[in-house]
Amino acid sequence: MSPSLSRWLWHAVAAALLVTIGSGLYLASKRIDYTWRWERIPQYLISTEGDDQKAPFDGFVAVSEDGRALSMTALRGAETAEFTGFSRIVAGNGDLVFEGDVIAKTDAISAGPLLVGLWLTLKISALSLVFALLLGLIVGLGRVSKNPAARDLAAFYVEVIRGTPLLVQIFIVYFFIGTVLQLSAFAAGVVALAVFTAAYVAEIVRAGIEAVPKGQTEAAQSVGLSGFQTMRYVILPQATRRILPPLAGQSINLIKDSSLVSVMALTDLTKAGREVVSSTFSPFEVWFVVALMYLLLTGVLSVAVRRLERRYAVQG
Amino acid sequence: MDQPAAVLIEARDIEKRYPNGVLGLKRASLSVKAGEVVVIVGPSGSGKSTLLRTFNGLEAITGGEIVVDGHVLHQRSADLRALRQRVGMVFQQFNLFPHLTVLENLCLAPVKVLKLSAAQADERARVLLAKVGLLNKWDCYPAQLSGGQQQRVAIARALAMQPAVILFDEPTSALDPEMVGEVLEVMKQLAVDGMTMCVVTHEMGFARAVADRVIFMDGGEILCEDVPEAFFGAPRHERLQSFLRQVL
Ligand SMILES: Nc1ncnc2c1ncn2[C@@H]1O[C@H](COP(=O)(O)OP(=O)(O)OP(=O)(O)O)[C@@H](O)[C@H]1O
Ligand SMILES: [Mg+2]
Repeated sequence: MSPSLSRWLWHAVAAALLVTIGSGLYLASKRIDYTWRWERIPQYLISTEGDDQKAPFDGFVAVSEDGRALSMTALRGAETAEFTGFSRIVAGNGDLVFEGDVIAKTDAISAGPLLVGLWLTLKISALSLVFALLLGLIVGLGRVSKNPAARDLAAFYVEVIRGTPLLVQIFIVYFFIGTVLQLSAFAAGVVALAVFTAAYVAEIVRAGIEAVPKGQTEAAQSVGLSGFQTMRYVILPQATRRILPPLAGQSINLIKDSSLVSVMALTDLTKAGREVVSSTFSPFEVWFVVALMYLLLTGVLSVAVRRLERRYAVQG
Repeated sequence: MDQPAAVLIEARDIEKRYPNGVLGLKRASLSVKAGEVVVIVGPSGSGKSTLLRTFNGLEAITGGEIVVDGHVLHQRSADLRALRQRVGMVFQQFNLFPHLTVLENLCLAPVKVLKLSAAQADERARVLLAKVGLLNKWDCYPAQLSGGQQQRVAIARALAMQPAVILFDEPTSALDPEMVGEVLEVMKQLAVDGMTMCVVTHEMGFARAVADRVIFMDGGEILCEDVPEAFFGAPRHERLQSFLRQVL
């Protein structure tokens, strides 16, 4: 058997196993008396629910001949009103409607709660990542600094952050720092995630810098480059190649960790999932979809990073 | 020479104790005049690299006095950056910047440190690359060059700063035998051009042919120094005799 054929065979084995496990789960779910209602899910992704045109007062409805305009005359008094620009008329010609009744609807496609949550997750992750990279770079440089004070502070930061659970940090930032500095829930979330992730980024940066041979620093200093120039032009460009893969992993962790901000009053993807579950009573479908949406985010990120890696891997 | 040449390196009783307690240098004294080629030989661990690296402040001395091109290195206030612009160094492992092309390796310090314009640095780099016979490799990355070629680029990189003296720490020890010659050839040409050089090497042929003085180190001390003919022809020191018996 040719090597490539046997490789494909093994891939097929893996696929078969996955299908088996999947159908096993499906059969298991049949036995627990659960009604799958996938058809309920799309509306929470994309909502076609538009604006309602409500009657401003009690009165009679008149539909124009071409059906494009509505007018109302008040039951009491001489008030009249005209309505145009809607998609569908709900009330009939000559109907008596009362204040607040829906007389017409405007169809509009808008993001459903899950997509809105996804957007918030994306925003909070991206923003936290930017700050985490900056802070992590600074702390990482502190870890390898010649100055003992900088080294101590950086080490202290990393130990404290890595030694406490993110959830606890989020509570501290939200309830303590957030209250003192009057941060919004969103800002508190960004701060907590950035501070947490930066500790890990710092360790990645430190390891990357330490992996660059000492001879590079010596050569750079021997031609008269300053410490900063040595870092900027010689060490960091070489460290980047080593830093990138673990950094990608850390960014993916950040996206996943961001689900913890749902404990604050923030409707991220996870919180949106919880809300949709409570209105649909379809937890299985909703959580599968939520998981898939997280996978989408992390998948796009890892593809992007692999591209970057390939670009940096050109030179030996 | 009509007038006495300026002293570039003056080391008096310098001592280097490493943080782990090892005494790398003990009471070594040496002076190097402008235009001189000084070759340093000695067994492994005798302190040759340590001595060389004190000359550009890569190793700080723990005793004695050292003045290089007017910079007083044993004082805390020593401006090492200014010093290193005047003292080039060539390493055993080349230490080229692997993420930069040959030309970029040569231009980095002149642009960032000497504040040359990119065009000036470029021109200077090309002249030097032609000098070491590698102008056609200007766009290569170090990994694409042979060891001998990399070391020639490293020499050109040191020259790009127009230093007063260049330190060579075993520049041919990491090379395949067939590439040693091309590097020594470049170094010989530098000596002929009047460059001041301190060279740690095991190439006794080079020492004999090019050195003005040869220095023998052992156990962190400079045991003797002499002109090459006397150094190799009539070695006075007993330990030098046994060292020469081993290497020749
Ligand atoms: N960074 C260091 N820390 C501690 N001890 C060191 C350090 N560098 C060198 N030494 C010690 O100092 C002594 C002199 O070392 P040095 O490297 O100067 O010798 P060398 O003559 O260059 O040897 P070689 O021919 O092997 O390069 C040795 O005993 C060595 O072990
Ligand atoms: Mg050595």
